[in-house]
Formats: sequence, C-alpha cells, structure tokens
Amino acid sequence: MNFFIKKLLIVIPTLYIAWTVVFVTLNIIPGDPVNLMLGGRPASDEVRENVRKNLGLDKPVFERYTSFLINATKGDLGKSYLTRQPVTTMIKENMMPTIELSIGGLIFGVFFGVFFGIFAGTKPNSMRDTFSMIIALCGISLPSFWIGMMLIYIFGTTLGWVPIVGEGFVSLILPSITVGLFFAGGMARLTRSSLVDVLNQDYIRTARSKGISKYRIVLRHSLRNAMIPPVTLLGIQFGLLITGAVITEEVFARPGLGQLLLQAILAKDIPLVQALVVYMTAVYIFLNLIVDFTYGIIDPRIRLERNRG
Amino acid sequence: MVEILNVSNLSTAFQSDYGSKQALKNISFKINEGEVLALVGESGSGKTVTSLSIMGLLPNNAYIQEGNINLIDKKNNQVNILKLTDDKHNLIRGNDISMVFQEPMTCLNPTMTIGDQIVEVILNHKKISKTKAVKEMIDLLGLVEIPDPTQRAREYPHQLSGGMRQRVMISIALACTPKLIIADEPTSALDVTIQAQLLQLLMKLKNSIVSKTSILFITHDLGIVRELADRVIVMYHGEIVEEGQVKEVFDNPKHSYTRNLIQSLPEFKLEERKLNKKDDNKPTKVDDNEIILKIENLFKEFPVEKGFFKESNETVKAVQNISLNVKKNEVLGLVGESGSGKSTLGKSIIKLLQPSRGQIYFNNENISEYSNKQMIKIRQKMQMIFQDPFASLNPRKNILDTLIEPILVHNLMKKNEAINYIKEIINDVGLPIESLRRFPHEFSGGQRQRIGIARALVLKPEFIVADEPVSALDVSIQAQVLNLLEKLKKTYNLTMIFISHDLSVIEFFCDKVAVMYLGHIVEIAPVSKLFNSPKHSYTRALLSAVPKVKGKDKEKILIKGDIPSPINPPSGCVFRTRCPNPGIDCKGGNIEMGLIEVEPGHWVDKCCVNCN
Ligand SMILES: Nc1ncnc2c1ncn2[C@@H]1O[C@H](COP(=O)(O)OP(=O)(O)O)[C@@H](O)[C@H]1O
Ligand code: SF4
Ligand SMILES: [Mg+2]
Repeated sequence: MNFFIKKLLIVIPTLYIAWTVVFVTLNIIPGDPVNLMLGGRPASDEVRENVRKNLGLDKPVFERYTSFLINATKGDLGKSYLTRQPVTTMIKENMMPTIELSIGGLIFGVFFGVFFGIFAGTKPNSMRDTFSMIIALCGISLPSFWIGMMLIYIFGTTLGWVPIVGEGFVSLILPSITVGLFFAGGMARLTRSSLVDVLNQDYIRTARSKGISKYRIVLRHSLRNAMIPPVTLLGIQFGLLITGAVITEEVFARPGLGQLLLQAILAKDIPLVQALVVYMTAVYIFLNLIVDFTYGIIDPRIRLERNRG
Repeated sequence: MVEILNVSNLSTAFQSDYGSKQALKNISFKINEGEVLALVGESGSGKTVTSLSIMGLLPNNAYIQEGNINLIDKKNNQVNILKLTDDKHNLIRGNDISMVFQEPMTCLNPTMTIGDQIVEVILNHKKISKTKAVKEMIDLLGLVEIPDPTQRAREYPHQLSGGMRQRVMISIALACTPKLIIADEPTSALDVTIQAQLLQLLMKLKNSIVSKTSILFITHDLGIVRELADRVIVMYHGEIVEEGQVKEVFDNPKHSYTRNLIQSLPEFKLEERKLNKKDDNKPTKVDDNEIILKIENLFKEFPVEKGFFKESNETVKAVQNISLNVKKNEVLGLVGESGSGKSTLGKSIIKLLQPSRGQIYFNNENISEYSNKQMIKIRQKMQMIFQDPFASLNPRKNILDTLIEPILVHNLMKKNEAINYIKEIINDVGLPIESLRRFPHEFSGGQRQRIGIARALVLKPEFIVADEPVSALDVSIQAQVLNLLEKLKKTYNLTMIFISHDLSVIEFFCDKVAVMYLGHIVEIAPVSKLFNSPKHSYTRALLSAVPKVKGKDKEKILIKGDIPSPINPPSGCVFRTRCPNPGIDCKGGNIEMGLIEVEPGHWVDKCCVNCN
C-alpha cells in the first residue's frame, strides 16, 4: 500500500474525531445560544422559537451533529450570530495576516532554534552551551505578551528602529520574533540534545577517522540525522504557533484570526468559534502530515521502507 | 627494517565522577613498514584506547598524560602525533593512518550512500576532480570484491549485509593508500564464514596493492593472530605484558597471563583431554536406550510483516523439517551461521515459540500441542540459558528474589527451605553467598552468566537449552563458565542442547553435533566424527573457516557471499548458491533434501552424499 494513501486514510478519521470534540465541547457550554444570539434583548417566545428554527436548534442533537460534520466537510459552517455574515467569508478576510505572522514566526523560530542548538550541541557542557540553553529557557518560559511588549518598548519606542504599527514586511519583524522566540526555545533545546546524541554515534567517529573538518562533520554528517526529533517537535508545536499568533496579534494590535477568535469568544459567537476551531484543527493535522512526509526526505531508511511497503 | 610508527611511554587516563582511571600504563611499541602487528588482550585491557590515542579520536573525558607517538608520514617527515593540532591531525587521519572499526552495523552514516562516503575521504586528501574520485571509488569497491559496484555505490548502509559494510569500511581505509591501517576487531561481530572471507581479502590486498602498508590488527582471537600476524603484542590491564614474533610467543609464552590465555582456549583443553587417557573429565555415560527428547518433522515459519493493510503470504522459513533425538545425559550441539535458525529451533523445542508443524516428544509425552498452561508443569523439567542473561534478569530484583520466585510459583518448597536450597545452588555456580543480596548490574558478564545458569537450575530440570551461553564472554571467562557447565552437567544429571556459532566451543563441550544451514540440519554426527571426517560441503567449509592456533595452515575452503534470505531459500539443496564445489546434479536445484545415515549415528543430507 502506498505510504501517502495510508497516511491520508489515517488523517480523515483523525479530523472527524477532532471535529466531534469541537462539537461536543461547544454544545456542553452552559447558556442558551438563543439568548446569546439575541444579545440579551428581551423577546417573545414566538421570536425565540423562530430563531431556534433558523439556527436548526430544534432538531435532535444527533441530527445536528451529522449535519455539522457534513457541512464542515463541505466547508460551510454557517453564519456568525453577530454579523450575520457567513463565517467562511470572515475567516477568509482575516486569514492572510495570520498566515504571514505564522510563517514569519516559523522562519525566525527555526532559524534561531537550529542556530543556538548547533552552537550549544557542538560543544556540550561548555560556557557557550550553558549560555545558549539559558536563552532557550527564557524563550520558553517568558510569556509571549511580555516579550512582545518588551520588544515594542526597546526597538519600537526607545530605539525607534522598527515601526510598531503599519503594514508591510517591516511591521512583521517584531511580531514574528515574539511568536518565534517561544518556538526557538524548544527547537534549540531539542536540536542540541539530538546533535549531542548524534555526535556520539559510531559513524561520526568513522567520519573523523577520515580526517574531515569539524564543520563538515556537523553539516554533512550530523545535522540531517539530528533534525528528526526537532522536525517532529515542529509538527507538534504548530498548535503553539497558532496560540502564539493569537496572543501576539492582540499585543501588537494586528488584525488576523487571533483577533477574530478572541472577539468571537468574548461575544460567545458560537458558529464563528466553531468554524475557527474546525479550520485550525484541519490546518494543524494537514501540517503534521507534511512533517510526516519530510521524514522520508531526511532519512533514506524511512523512505526505502515506504517504497517497499 | 623501516620503522613507521613509534609509541613510547604512552599513558592515557579517563576522567570520571569517581576520579581518574588509568587505561594505558606507560606502553611502548613500534610498527615496521609492511608488517602486520597483532594486539591481543581481553576486553577492557586497553586495545581500543591504544588505537584511539594514535588516531586522536579519544572521547572527551579521556586525556593523554604523557608519551610520544612518532609517525613517519608519506613525505618521509617524522611527526609527533600527540603534538598536532586537530586540523593538522586531520591531514594524517584517513591519509597516512586509517582505521576499520568493530561495529559494521553502526559505523557508516545511515543517511549517506556508501559511494559518497568513500568519495568523501578521497576528495578530502587528494587534489583530484569529483569525476575522477568517483571512478576511484568504483575501482575501490571492485578491489574489496563488492559485486556490481556501480549499483552498490548508490545504496545506503542498511541495504548491505554486515560483511559488505565491513568491505566498504576497508575500502575507505584503503582509499588513500595509507602507511598504517588500524583494524579494531574488524571481524568480531561477524560469522566465521564471513570473517574468513574478509581476512582473506585483507591479506590479498596486503600482499598486492598496499604491500608497504602496515596493519595494526586488534583482536581477542588468537587463531586470527596465528594466521595473519608477523608479530604480536599482548595487553593486560593497560600494560604490554608480552611482545614478540607470533610463533615464539605461541610456542613459548613468557608471561603467565599469555600462558593462561593460550591454555584456556577450547582447542587446548581438548588436546589436554585427549592426552589424558584415564580422563575422568568426561564420563558422561550416555544411556543408549533412553531417549529424552524426540523431534519429528518440526517446522517453524514466521509470517512476513508487510505493513498495515496488506496481509502477506510470504513466510520466513526459520526451521524446516527437522527431526532429531537427544538421549539421556547427552549434549547435542547446534552450530551454524547467524540466521541459520539455531535459536528458533531451541525456543520451539521448549515451546517458548509455538512450532508451526511437527511433533515434540519429551519423555515420550507429545508436548507439541500443549497450551501454555499445560506447559507450566513441563517447564519445571525444561529450562533455557540465554546469551545475554542481563537482558532477562529483572534489574530491580536482587538475586535471591529472582532465584526464589520460580520455586515459590511452582510451590516446590517452603520459603526458608528454598533459601537454603538457593544458597547451595549459588555455591555450586561458584558465586559467594553475599551475591544473593545484590542486584544484576553489580555483576560482571561472567558472573551474570553464572546467575543465568543458577536460575535455569533452581527447578532441578532434566533438560536445558543453552543458547550461546558463553559467546559474549572473554576467552578466559568462557573457559571458566564452560568448565562450570560441564561440572554441573554431571552433578545435576543434565541433558542439554547447546547452541553456539563457535565450533571450538562445540567441539569441547558436546557429544553430538547438528550443523544447521537456512533452517535445515545438513549433517548430524558424534563430535569426533564430525570434526575428523565431515561429509557435507557446508560442514567442511565451516570447519575450514575457523582460524586455529595449532595445526598446519591448510588451504581454506571459502564460502562465497552472504547467507540467502530465509524468505525465498534456494530450491533443492539450500546451500547450493554458496557451495564451493557443487555437484552437477545440485546446480539444477531439483534434488530433495533429507538426512540419511551413512555410518551409525552419522547422518548427512542425502544429496550431498550422492555428489561427493
Ligand atoms: N569512554 C570511556 N570512559 C571511561 N572509561 C573508559 C572509556 N572507554 C574505555 N574505558 C576504560 O579504558 C580501559 C580500556 O578499554 P578499551 O581500550 O576499550 O579495551 P579493549 O579495547 O581492550 O576492550 C577499560 O578499563 C575501560 O573501562
Ligand atoms: S548437495 Fe551439492 S550443492 Fe548442496 S552442499 Fe552438497 S555438493 Fe553443495
Ligand atoms: Mg575494543
């Protein structure tokens, strides 16, 4: 069986399970959706009943569940309670800034994470190792919003190097760093430990016995083998990237899905929240699929295994 | 004689949490141009540390305390290796001195093709174009006799067998025609047949294209030393205790350690025994009438895993149509290359694996269809000793708890009775009573094996399958454990199946031997018959592959290539693809296999009887 098809067949049930969880959690949240929808305005029973019908809430739970899944598959996730716009339109409108921010954060995080990981891992237990790992720990443990605010304060307000608001590439730098730092910390730590591990392997000793320079040993013989765990982490942390983006958008007052989600939650706009979560899970699962495929590029043993399987 | 490497007063130590520990104590030796110098000693004696000191590849926690290592490099300059910076040392590594390591499975980079790994060292030291380097690489692969080099060059290490990988390592070591090749136990992890191929290749190369290259050959196998080396150095606890021409040292060892080492070889033990006519060492009176174990047409096949959705109907044919008898108090040896099915047969017999087909009679009781529950009672009488006892001992239980558990489970004795009984056993296996309170990790390899033996004995079994019980141990320890087993065999009245890939151990320990190849028994005979007049081509080749300390150098019968896949074994005689001299009838592969008795007690596969 083709590896790709096999993976896809596993993805589909995963997606439905995730969506089921979304449906269940949003349905056990206390509060009558009709009340939310009416925004607290008084209304007669008749009006309520109409709204209920409109939203399809009069149907039995199971029916609502199946139609939710069908609609989710079609990409039709209803209308926002508040704006009455289709949620897909709202999501589309707010998508680009978040994608930009995520990619920026990703690039920044991977670059610095791998850099510090190599810097530390090639000389374990040295000063530079300790130094790098302290920085990485800071990246992980300091809250994004605090880092964001500090960056704004230092580079934006005090030094005036980069604009804090506005559009275009430059305005993306500080938010990307904010998102990426969190990412970078985990990447750095994992790259380091994985590299230390690889550098102790027998084949590295063989490479050294050939008289190859230490740079080549790291770049040609170690990195590829060492990158498997960090790439896995990448897959797992896409979720954090999204969370990071949500908070960062708030701190930098950037438009985007994060802002949208926050507003939707505050307004208890259930269809919008539901749609956002549905999309995010889909993206998350899809990105993990890509990560799975990249293993094969990194490690020929996995690739050949797949071709045979 | 030109001296190319001179090690003088070298001391190397390791820094650890408990302080520093000296691994090399003031050692001095030299290597002459073109000679093969063997370095022998048991594990931990400092052989590897010596080679890594020369290569400048010591681990971070090691440091050289004092000494000099002087090398005459290719440009005829004398350099003190220990005074070089890492960059300068890189000009020498792989170029003037190269190395072949012990672990063929892990010493090549899994993410690079083997071609790239060879080209790399060429480009690193020679100023030639990439295309020329690739051409040299293909030539090298041809030199080390890898079939189809252009194709193989594109493959990754895991696609090659251990023997092939070691050939690749040799080609890397040869690539720049170095002054010195250090080979650290290059064949220890391989089968004797593959070992013989590689050693022959190495000597062929040594005598042709790299005749001026010296080899420092590290090994614990004295037979190899005898066959290959000009001179030998013996190491013991980080010191050189003996040095000299091979013949001199073997015929007339000066140091007591060397003497012991030579005398503890099974080969010598055997000789001793033969000389000692009224030998009471081997009174195992085999009772001809009482057959304790009888196996008829036993098969064990494993389904091939083929992924998640697809069921495969291919099987690994691990054990094929095996029939044999073991008489009371007899020791039957099982020998063969790795992958020949020895362990699977052993485990199927005591039903740690459920056989696919066939009958097993134990004391005339047919146990082949017994369930695990029914086997509990039988297991008291049938036990197993494993190669790596550590893996099968619970690390969190002390030895007393480990040993007492089966007794209490089987409800054989009261607890305090059992404790006394275990004390007896632990004494019998040669361990102090205090050991009972200790945990597995506190013991050495040899001691752990004694614990493994004690555990097999607590239930007073009649029959034991010992799977490579001494293979992981050093020669001198091996001898001790074998002696112990022999003694226990008598005191406990045991019948055994003894599995080993080491023919000399088999010869020393067993009464009868079965030779296995690709799941089949191809020959079965009393020990002296099998070793003195082997009938099957495989047995002959196997016997000839073993490097011997004593005896004349006979022309080796080399087996070509690797053992084929047991998923699709050759038709007819399974050995025909590697047979050194197959008969005309064999080549077609349509003769059926099956044992016939050529002399009383000596059974040989019938097709081989016909063609020889
Ligand atoms: N990485 C290490 N850390 C601490 N001690 C070591 C290390 N490697 C080897 N040793 C010690 O150095 C001594 C010599 O070991 P080694 O050269 O590997 O022996 P051999 O190759 O003869 O089996 C042993 O006492 C061993 O325990
Ligand atoms: S039967 Fe023929 S092919 Fe098989 S081992 Fe004997 S001689 Fe070789
Ligand atoms: Mg060693």
